Amino acid sequence: MKKEHDGLTFQRGDAVAIAAVVTAALVMIALLLIPSGGNGRVIARIYQDGEVIRELRLEENTEITVEGAYRNTISVRDGKIAFTHSDCPGEDCVHSGWISAPGRSAVCLPNRVEIRLEGEADTDDVDAVVQ
Amino acid sequence: MKTKDLTTMAILTALAFALSWVERLIPLEMIIPLPGVKLGLANTVTLFALYRLSLPAALLILTARCLLSALFSGNMTGLAFSLAGGLLSMLVMAAAKRSRHLSVYGVSVLGAAGHNCGQILTAMLLMHSAYIWGYLPYLLLIGTACGAATGAVSAGVLRALGGRARSAA
Repeated sequence: MKKEHDGLTFQRGDAVAIAAVVTAALVMIALLLIPSGGNGRVIARIYQDGEVIRELRLEENTEITVEGAYRNTISVRDGKIAFTHSDCPGEDCVHSGWISAPGRSAVCLPNRVEIRLEGEADTDDVDAVVQ
Repeated sequence: MKTKDLTTMAILTALAFALSWVERLIPLEMIIPLPGVKLGLANTVTLFALYRLSLPAALLILTARCLLSALFSGNMTGLAFSLAGGLLSMLVMAAAKRSRHLSVYGVSVLGAAGHNCGQILTAMLLMHSAYIWGYLPYLLLIGTACGAATGAVSAGVLRALGGRARSAA
């Protein structure tokens, strides 16, 4: 006897839907993890409203503040960068924690500020010159 | 519009608003540090309205809930996110519900995925940045788990209430 479809019982189609979403997510993560080349040095670009407002090297410890609708404090420490303080509601940016790998980013949506870690291109960069 | 429908929708709106308020007490983003992570408890109300009332009713309840949340929290940026996420989610769920191969579980999971995509699209527009899509896969994974959980809750609620909401005259 075929069971009537009441729309409330877990079906095989549901498993397919879940598998499809999870697979899509995993493929995206794999794409994000592929290194984009460069010389391995990571540069942090700070964007506000989609424009670069600062560039920071992760080799030097520093601390900057970004003003906007709110005030963010961004710190670089031991090769990592993070929003260390913010007066925005929720403080999701501070909870994002420290990041250091190229391709990672941290955002403060209320202040429209984004930290992006990008690999530094090595095309126009000379390591050493020997004569 | 019949008075009974109006009252049912008002009660469901109040319930959805209360659920989205209660949800803030659960600090999910402390465990998973991504902006916009939440359980989506209010989606059980949306699913209920979609299954027992109609798509227009579900849309009205959703819009009213988003406006109320924005008014009470004073967060207008949040309104753009919840509306974009909610409407895209609704579109996906209404389409998924038509499939005979999907139950409320699958509809809820796909709705959560739609919600995540809507949020990311809004963020990309607001921040003028395409880079933000890097958050999408992580949101999708968490959204799938939360979507399955709210799907289970919705299945329980719909089963417990049977056809009463529709058939009672």
